This record gives sequence, structure tokens and C-alpha cells, in this order.
Amino acid sequence: MKALLAIAARSAWNRRGTLALVMLSIALATALLLSLERLRSDIRSSFAQSVSGTDLIVGARTGPVQLMLYAVFHVGGATHGIRMDSVRAVAAHPAVAWTVPIALGDSHRGYPVLGTTTDYFARFAYGDRQPLALAQGRAFAGTLDGLYETVLGAEVADRLGYRVGQQLSLSHGLAAGPDEGHADHADHDDHADHADKPFTVVGVLARTGTPVDRTVHVSLQAIEAIHLDWAGGAPLPGVRIAPEHARKFELEPDQVTAVLVGLRNRVAVFNVQRFVAEYEAEPLLAVLPGVALDELWAVVGPGERALLAVSGLVALVSLSSLVAVVLAGLNERRRELAVLRAVGAGPRHVLALLAAEGALVTLLGALTGAAAAAVAVVAAGPWVQQRFGITLQSTTPSVEQWALFGVVLLAGMLASLVPGWRAYRLSLADGLTPRI
Amino acid sequence: MPRGTIRVAPASPFFVLLEIRDLHYAWPGAAGDCLAIERLDIAAGRAVFVHGPSGCGKSTLLGLMAGVLVARRGRVSLLGHDWAELRGGARDAFRADHVGYIFQQFNLLPYVSVLDNVLLPCRFSAARARRCSEGPVAAAQALLARVALPPALWPRRADALSVGQQQRVAAARALIGRPELVIADEPTSALDAALRDDFMALLLGEAQAGGSTLVFVSHDDRLAARFDERLSLPALNRAPTTP
Repeated sequence: MKALLAIAARSAWNRRGTLALVMLSIALATALLLSLERLRSDIRSSFAQSVSGTDLIVGARTGPVQLMLYAVFHVGGATHGIRMDSVRAVAAHPAVAWTVPIALGDSHRGYPVLGTTTDYFARFAYGDRQPLALAQGRAFAGTLDGLYETVLGAEVADRLGYRVGQQLSLSHGLAAGPDEGHADHADHDDHADHADKPFTVVGVLARTGTPVDRTVHVSLQAIEAIHLDWAGGAPLPGVRIAPEHARKFELEPDQVTAVLVGLRNRVAVFNVQRFVAEYEAEPLLAVLPGVALDELWAVVGPGERALLAVSGLVALVSLSSLVAVVLAGLNERRRELAVLRAVGAGPRHVLALLAAEGALVTLLGALTGAAAAAVAVVAAGPWVQQRFGITLQSTTPSVEQWALFGVVLLAGMLASLVPGWRAYRLSLADGLTPRI
Repeated sequence: MPRGTIRVAPASPFFVLLEIRDLHYAWPGAAGDCLAIERLDIAAGRAVFVHGPSGCGKSTLLGLMAGVLVARRGRVSLLGHDWAELRGGARDAFRADHVGYIFQQFNLLPYVSVLDNVLLPCRFSAARARRCSEGPVAAAQALLARVALPPALWPRRADALSVGQQQRVAAARALIGRPELVIADEPTSALDAALRDDFMALLLGEAQAGGSTLVFVSHDDRLAARFDERLSLPALNRAPTTP
């Protein structure tokens, strides 16, 4: 058997060109399969970790998924708000540790504007309870002096080229989506509905891979201030309140869009949820973010499975190319196999020879592919993060990845048995004189 | 692998090395037998010429003698062992130990050196390696020298050699480790007259020197005179002639 292995190695080396091509195609398939799986699981986890540390999200009574969509993903609009006295009632519940109200409805060049309190920067967490961090500058002051201050999400700052100290204006309502490619924001800002009250960028948040990256953060009072001379979604004709004068008005909001709630003890979560649901002054809804995120993911799920199916097909195609190449080469090798049989190799040796070669080629290909996938994750990680906001983790392979790797390997070995079996049949039928 | 487990009586001048009794062989899928031989004995140490036109089943007979093909009926025994009674791996090991084989052409593994090609049987058979008293490599070199292959060619890839040179390497490979039986299947058909005579002299001389029995098959009658015994396969074969 040892003699046979040495010969198998020489024989394979003799056909290294073809085998290298097969190896390459298996490597590509493996790399594709593994990096798609990595992408898939990281999309899922960065989705599932869009919000953490928040035990409940409270808003006007609507569907849980809809509440999540606007409170966490800042997509779509709330039909109703929640009154501030309701917020205070929830905050007064003995099990509640903190509340952070949020107000949505405005935008800046397609990016949603979130009005909130300074607590937001301390309380909001994502991923594995990671708090928000500032990449530049500071949080907005939350005082009257710092009324027109804004903190930008990482993507907003990157895409629009904002730095601390620059000014921007907000627009009323949510635009279709972030507009891109305009270098001339000054010109663009002229069309902003709230151009009369420009904001100064005081901070830029570090990237999170969550919707926070696409959000413009201002204080709740600022949201009130820019809408002082507005009524029913339109500017009041003939009324103009200058930015400085706005400070003299009552700027505490009457209602907000939703409230993020943190509890002293998670055990009380259903008590508080029931308290909110049974709150009589206003119809409210409290959702558990994890549960609602899972529901939301179920909607996106089929796309995820399609990704996996595509990579499975790629793997299938390259494995059949392995079988095809080895089978095609078999006729040329019948003479070689007859020589081996004449010097004492059995048909079972012949089968072992071909199967071992296929297995080795598959193993090398799969290893190369796995290495390439790892390199690709490290190399393309920052780009994917920047372009798509998906954080690729270059950690050790997940169970699913090991499983996929195993499946590729096993399938490759099974596939290489096909030509091996054919060679076995041929060497029995040929005897020592192949009929080529 | 159960090598060396089959005990073989030492060859004596009058010992019957290869014995065929009531042999019937049909290729898989074929309707009738292509070979039917009632009786054939080949004594140890003889050089036997088997003659027959193309397609009369010469290669099939050699495959049966070498234990690569197994008879449907009857017995083919080498050194007293019926090939049919040996199971898979044991049959291959027995062949590696006791049979050397030379094809018409393409005898060598093209991607292996000339020397390694000659050493192949010793790699598959410990018995053949043991019978090289001076060690397999020295034996291979000695054989290559005796078949007049210059040492400069020994480390070359086998496919770098001419056809005549390749056949001489094939002879050296069949003879290494002094197997009891050397089978040659029209080894000279690709050689011209001068090369053919050289090759025949070499093969016969070395087989005799090593004490190997030689079964040589050819359609070329002119070679017959050099052999101890001459057999005609069409005369031996009782199977109805097939096209």
C-alpha cells in the first residue's frame, strides 16, 4: 500500500495541471460556501443585535413588528405617538429602571432624525450589550445653549462627509431613502424645510453595524423648536420664529414616538408588559425586542435560505466537475492501471488509488477554500462594514461552517469513489489488455 | 496483506510449474467460450513459445496464466496453487511474488524513472525484493546494465526512452527478483528486425540465467526456433472459433 501511495503521488504530480484546476474549482466553491455562510450568519446576528439591553419598547398600540420597524430600524412612520404623561407613568412603575423617549418624523437627506435625551447615549446598547461610543466630539448637551447640536451616526458622517463643527439642516418628514452622490450639500440644504434653524455637528458615533449608523441624533427639545412655527405638517403662513427666539418657548414635547424601557430585573418584564397593555389613559403596546426581531427575521428568512441554496449549487457543480475530470482522464490511465496490475496491484488497489487521489484533491481544495474565505473576511471586512454596515466576524469557524466544510469534504470523497469504482470495473473487465 | 503465507515447493528441473486442466473461459457478456484447453503443462525452467494468429485468445490465455483473469471452469495452477482458489488480495500478492509480465508496448509508468520502473515488482512483493541477493537497487542496476541500457538513462523519465529501450527496461522489470514465471505478450511486435533479435537474445539469456520459466506469445513464427518448446494455440484451443 505504501508503494502504491508513492506511485499515486507521482502519478498525480504528472497530471498536476488538471488536478490543480479541479482543486481550484473546489477551493472556489468552498470559499464561496463558507463566506456566504459567514455573511448569512453575520447578517442575522447583526440584525438580531440591533438593540440589546433594552427590555421593552413601548409605543402607541399597533403591530409589534411595525413598532420595531420604526422604533429600532427607523423605517416607516408611527400613526400615533405616546403622550409624555404616559411615558412618565411607565417610568414610575417600580420595576422600571430607566426610560429613553424617542421622537421620529424628520430626516436629513434621507437619513432619519431621532429626537431623544442625553440618556440615549448612556442607555442604548447593541450587539452583546455594547454601549454607543463616540468616534469624534461629544454627545449633544441637552441644554438650551446646545439646542441646535446634533450627533451623527457613522454612516451618515461617512457618506455625507460631515465632521465635527459643520452645519446641516433637517427636512420635514421621511424622504424615500438616503440620497447619494451630491457633493454640494450647501446647495441641497437650501431646500431643507427647516433650513431656518441649522444644526451644528458636535459628535460622530463609532460604527455599530446597526440602524444607529444611519441616524441623525438631536434632542427632543430641538424637534419641538424646529416645529414651533409649524402646524399639521406644514409651516404656518406668515409665522417665523428665529432660532434664538425659539429658546424662549416651552420646548418640552407633549408626545413622543416610542419609549425604550430598561428594567431593574428582567423577571418583571411580563408584569410591565401587562401594565402597559392595560394602561387605561391611552392604548399602548410594549414589545420584547428579541421576540419582535425574531418575528421580523422570519419575514426576511427566505432570502437567507436562497443564499445558502445558491452556494450549495455552486458546490454541487464543482464536485461534478471533479467527477467529470477524473472520469475523462480514466481512459488515458487504463494502460497505467494495467501496468500496475501486472506488477501485483489488485483491482481494489486501483479503486483505492483513484479514491485517495480524489479525496486528497478535495481536501486540499477545501482547505485552500477555507483559507481563502478566512482571508477574504479579513480583507473585505472593513469594506463590507463600510459599504453595507455588516460586521463580518473573523472569529473561529462556527458550527455551521464546520458542518458545511465537512459536507464538502464528504461529498468530494463520495464523488471520487465514482471514478474509482469505474476504474475497478474496468480493470476487472480489461484484464491486462485494455480495449481502448 | 498476507504475503509470503503461501508456501511453494522449490523448483526442480522436472517440476511442473504451470498446469492447465479442462480450462473454459468466456469474456463477461460473451455467449460462448473463447478458450477451452483440456490439458497443458509447462515445466520449470523451460522457454515456451506459444504461437497463434491475432485474436485467437493469446492475451486471454496469458491473463489466465498470470491470475488476472480467472477461469469459469477448470483449473490454472501456478506452483501447485489454483488461481481460482486464491482470494482477491492473496491472488494479487501471489502474482507479484511469482510472475513477471512484459506487454507488447507501453510497459512502463511514464512519470516514474527508468530505475523506479524496474524496482516496481520489489515494491509490491517482499519476496521479489528478498531474492535480490545484492539488494533491489543493485539488482535493478545490474539488470539494466545487462540489457545494455547506459547508466545515464537510469534516472530519466521512462517516457523519454525509445520504444526499443522501453522494451528492454520492461524485460529487466519482469526479471527482477527472479520470478518463477515470466510472461511475454508479443514484446517484439513494435521493434524492427535488428532490435528484435537483440531483445530476444537478451530475454532468453536472462530468463535462463535467473532460472525463470518463460512463456512467450507471438504471431511471428520466425522467433520459434530459439525456444525449448513450441505450442500452437489454435491447436490447443477446443473452443468453437469465434470471429
